[in-house]
Amino acid sequence: MRKSLLIVVSLLVAASLVLSGCGGKTPAPTGTVQPAVTAVPSPAKKVVTIIFPQEFDTLGPLYTDMWFAWATWQLYLAWAWEFDENNEPFPKLVTEIPSADNGGISADGTVITMHLRDDIKWSDNVPITADDFIFTWQMAVSQQNTVSSAYPYDHIADVSAPDPQTVVITFAEPFAPWLATLWHGILPKHILQPIYDAEGTLDNADWLKNPTVGCGPFLLAEWQSGSFARFERNPNYWSTPAKIDEVFIRFVPEAQKEALLAGDADLGTYIPYSDVPDLENAGLKIVTEPNGYNEGLFFLDDTSGKLGNPGLRDVNVRKAIVLAIDRDAINRDLHYGLTKVPASFWDALPYYNDPPLTNYPYDPGQAKALLDAAGWKDSNGDGTRDKDGVELVLQYGTSISKDRQDTQAVIQQDLAAVGIRVEIQSLDADIFLATYGEGGPAAKGQIDIMEWSDGPVFPDADIYYWLCSEIPSADNPQGSNWFYTCDQKLNDLVALQSTQVDANARQKTISQINQLFYDQIYWIGLWQDPDVYAVGPRLQGEKFSGVTPFFNIADWDIVNP
Amino acid sequence: MESTPNKIAVLIPDELETPPLSLGQLAWRRFRRHKPAILGSVIIVLLVLYAFGSSLFISEADANRKDLSSRLLPPSAAHPFGTDTIGRDILARTVYGGQISLLIGLTAVMVETGLGILVGALAGYYGGAIDSLLMRITEAMLNIPEIFLLIVMAKYFGGKIPNLTILGREYSGSVVVIVVIIGLTSWMYLARIVRAEFLSLKENDFVLAARATGTPNREIIFRHILPNSIAPILVSATLGVANAILSEAYISFLGLGVQAPTATWGNMIDDANRYIETAPWMWFFPGLLILLTVLSINFLGDGLRDALDPRGRTV
Amino acid sequence: MTRYLIRRLLQGIPLLLIISFILFALMMNMGDPVANMGGRRVTRSSDYQRLKRQLGLDKPIYIQYLYWLAGNDWTKVDMDGDGVGETPGIRLGVLRGDFGTSLVDRSPVLELIGERIPNTLILMVAAEVLIVLGALVIGVYSALRQYSLLDHTVTALSFIGYSMPIFFVAMVSMYVFAVLFKRWGLPYLPTVGMFDPQVGETLGQVAYHMVLPVVTMSVVSLASYSRYIRSTMLDVLHQDYIRTARSKGLNSRTVVFVHALKNASLPIATVVGLDLPFLLGGAVVTERIFAWPGMGRLFLDHVSRGDTPVVMGILMLVAVAVVIFQIITDIVYAWLDPRIRYD
Repeated sequence: MRKSLLIVVSLLVAASLVLSGCGGKTPAPTGTVQPAVTAVPSPAKKVVTIIFPQEFDTLGPLYTDMWFAWATWQLYLAWAWEFDENNEPFPKLVTEIPSADNGGISADGTVITMHLRDDIKWSDNVPITADDFIFTWQMAVSQQNTVSSAYPYDHIADVSAPDPQTVVITFAEPFAPWLATLWHGILPKHILQPIYDAEGTLDNADWLKNPTVGCGPFLLAEWQSGSFARFERNPNYWSTPAKIDEVFIRFVPEAQKEALLAGDADLGTYIPYSDVPDLENAGLKIVTEPNGYNEGLFFLDDTSGKLGNPGLRDVNVRKAIVLAIDRDAINRDLHYGLTKVPASFWDALPYYNDPPLTNYPYDPGQAKALLDAAGWKDSNGDGTRDKDGVELVLQYGTSISKDRQDTQAVIQQDLAAVGIRVEIQSLDADIFLATYGEGGPAAKGQIDIMEWSDGPVFPDADIYYWLCSEIPSADNPQGSNWFYTCDQKLNDLVALQSTQVDANARQKTISQINQLFYDQIYWIGLWQDPDVYAVGPRLQGEKFSGVTPFFNIADWDIVNP
Repeated sequence: MESTPNKIAVLIPDELETPPLSLGQLAWRRFRRHKPAILGSVIIVLLVLYAFGSSLFISEADANRKDLSSRLLPPSAAHPFGTDTIGRDILARTVYGGQISLLIGLTAVMVETGLGILVGALAGYYGGAIDSLLMRITEAMLNIPEIFLLIVMAKYFGGKIPNLTILGREYSGSVVVIVVIIGLTSWMYLARIVRAEFLSLKENDFVLAARATGTPNREIIFRHILPNSIAPILVSATLGVANAILSEAYISFLGLGVQAPTATWGNMIDDANRYIETAPWMWFFPGLLILLTVLSINFLGDGLRDALDPRGRTV
Repeated sequence: MTRYLIRRLLQGIPLLLIISFILFALMMNMGDPVANMGGRRVTRSSDYQRLKRQLGLDKPIYIQYLYWLAGNDWTKVDMDGDGVGETPGIRLGVLRGDFGTSLVDRSPVLELIGERIPNTLILMVAAEVLIVLGALVIGVYSALRQYSLLDHTVTALSFIGYSMPIFFVAMVSMYVFAVLFKRWGLPYLPTVGMFDPQVGETLGQVAYHMVLPVVTMSVVSLASYSRYIRSTMLDVLHQDYIRTARSKGLNSRTVVFVHALKNASLPIATVVGLDLPFLLGGAVVTERIFAWPGMGRLFLDHVSRGDTPVVMGILMLVAVAVVIFQIITDIVYAWLDPRIRYD
């Protein structure tokens, strides 16, 4: 009996080892060697290893908004124009960025004309033409495709091609954020159109997971779900070939720091601040790149007066809150001084934060005085201020992360020192961010102080939360104005700025919004939330962008020390 | 009549060596011999004193006081267990966290035992269709790995229960969630044991007698049969506390357990996840406490099992 | 026997249906998979409606369950938002083997699971073999030398191992054997992953990367299995027939290994058999820490994003495996123990 048990067990072990050999997603790449055959790579081969703590769910443009997919696109795809380390646009597939001066933008701002380069081609030598752009737009707005977002293509009335190198885009109304939001990856028409015609949808196209054809400096060689993705140099690249031969991306959710310390990778991404001291001590370089995101507090200030604590509707109470929190200490102690307190929502876009706002200081004495003057005094001696029988108790919620939980605890203590009691809620992200229709607590106005990381539609300055039409209700369950604030002046300015194609006019409008945020304290900035990278000693020439992170990956080089 | 004891003592001096022992006394004797179990009991008493008794010396405000300037300090005279990422004293936090961890363990077991006894007793006593239905449900739940069930339930209940304030202390709603889900995922084992006990006990004479005298079913179940099957229930409940404390630690490590502001030993280890090398005191002390608690409960349970085992090999 | 088999299989079906319904109901209320599709931002309202409709999430729960079970190719789906169904559905439903596609990355669920199963199996089978063999050795020796110093030490150690949270063991061992050993110049083990991508997925690489996760898992389970084997062996060793065999003059080794162990292996085989299907679940925590691409990690990643089809797929797969293995165990039990008969 024991023997038969042993036999069965050994068979199972053998079977699973055999199965493991056949397992894994191995697409049929064009002319590459299977890695299992290679022993140790020859010393001349240059390989960059990057660690992603999260795996991209799909590689197809339009189908994902994950940062990790966006970053990977620079390896094997190209945008019409990309952004450099200062987040300034530079032309990629187009000859120059359309502007009013070169006739790229019409007088009324609704028609944009792009001129494509004539040397751009896909890796199978098919040229990239205006047809690919038209196809991308059609796929984005098609109801048959489950794209993650149709924005901004759903604002476009028509895209046409007077000749193969020219693309003319006509918007229904002047649309200011076009530069930041259009053409994040082009779909190859010659490959995908037949699939769409045959199946009626692009959702199941193999190219989305296994892009055999691309137009970037590298091409996907292999993607093993859960482990890694490997890219090799594109021999048919239309521009200067890449310096390195291969890019390995490893997916490591928990132990990225250990892997970096052990020298298993050249670049780490999304580094948490708590890992920074160890990595710096081990000789890695920490690089931060602004991406428009700032962590901040938003207030439930219900204009109709029904939801939330009445204290928050008084601007003086909100001012007391911002004065009572020692934000510099949070940045200095929790983030090792790597971040600063952002004074403006447009902190990363200096053009729109001009003249730049200054931060409210840390002044708990002044905070207490303000609260007294507003009528909030502790009449029943329980340590919490009250007024007209209502205690100043605020619900403070955010999603689960160690950083945020620490911040909540510190802010709770700071506010308790001035007599405001805060109750902390720490919720899973997809519960915290659920919409009104899904019973999300923030959306339903159950949380007074909401914290999350956000910014304008970077690198554009567009915002939309504060529109009165975005207030959620039973009729509008997807509304994103979870602050229930209907400030008519703010609403009009926000609606106006997204139509102002003229940069000067827009700057004036946004400056007004900026000042309004400051005066009314609709938003408190806690810290800037840049992309944080850890660069190993072998990597050279790397630069990062806050929009197209690996924009110059063709220039990266590996130098063996 | 002459005094019977003397007569017996005179007539049969060899047969009456010791007075007959009750089950409890017999069990106690066997338990006493099990040295790890005694050690375990002592440790548990000490731990309970540590967690609940220390609140005489350390207030909750001490546990919650944040001081960014003294963050991540190693153990010293001022902070015997060091401080955490926002300057809270770890010793104080293990005291209050311990209260929560131990309470979670106990209350989860109460839920689990209550459910298990109910289901097992009804299935075992009534039999037939009720038994079939209840056992199908039990099997269904047993067929799903516990950790999966815990994760799914944690997400289901997450965020739905608001923070509670009992006796002036604030508890995160997730404490109730944890107790409920641990209870809901572990009752099946006890239910099967109780059912087996009931199946074998209900054919006994004393049950037939009770029925013959017209005792209502509920009384038969709870006052006649149940007390006789206390042994496996007790062992299962004891080991269940250890399992509950471990389950809480796992779920908190995965980020789905008790959330701030409430501290537990489990989520203190989760907090230390990024500081394993740089601040080992953050995970060492709560980890040690979990280990000691679970270990001593396991010893205790083992001792109880040996002591209450009717086959009694070692008396 | 055949009738028993068929009866058990038939009994398994309503069981699986109950399980699927309980799980589906739980999954439906777990957060909003569409909320976070906008990447770091909340999904825009204009996209939200469309996505819910296209993914079929706007239907009531019993309709969603029906589509999951029986597919929707017998009805028309409303893709263009006018409220009237016009596109024929393409899902076949679980009953015909189609577990649907993931809400997160639109891959077929079975493909996702199929990629991860071999990885999980390698890890878990190796761990199980190590555990069973190790526990047999430790358990038998402890039983033979009951109450000796060896027995007490081993018992104490196994209790400690049994009481430690597994993530504790995992992280500490990773630090000591991977990071610290490398720093001190000793031969070291790798930190994470299944193999080094530069070298490829060779047997040597996988074995090398397997050491830490397997040992971590074994430490915890070895303890409980060895205790169980010890107590089973003790039960058997005190039986009359063992005493008879000894008194007949058989040498100790024959008594223990031929008679005692053979009889003890029955309950052991039962326990192992019942535990095997749970291997498919993978070790969620261990896989997470060691970045092992297995089923446990797949489950965790997709549960946190509310991806019902994948999570249901994994759970149902494990449930089916458990039911089948229970039947197999019962049959093996009957084959091993001639006293048992099923009709």
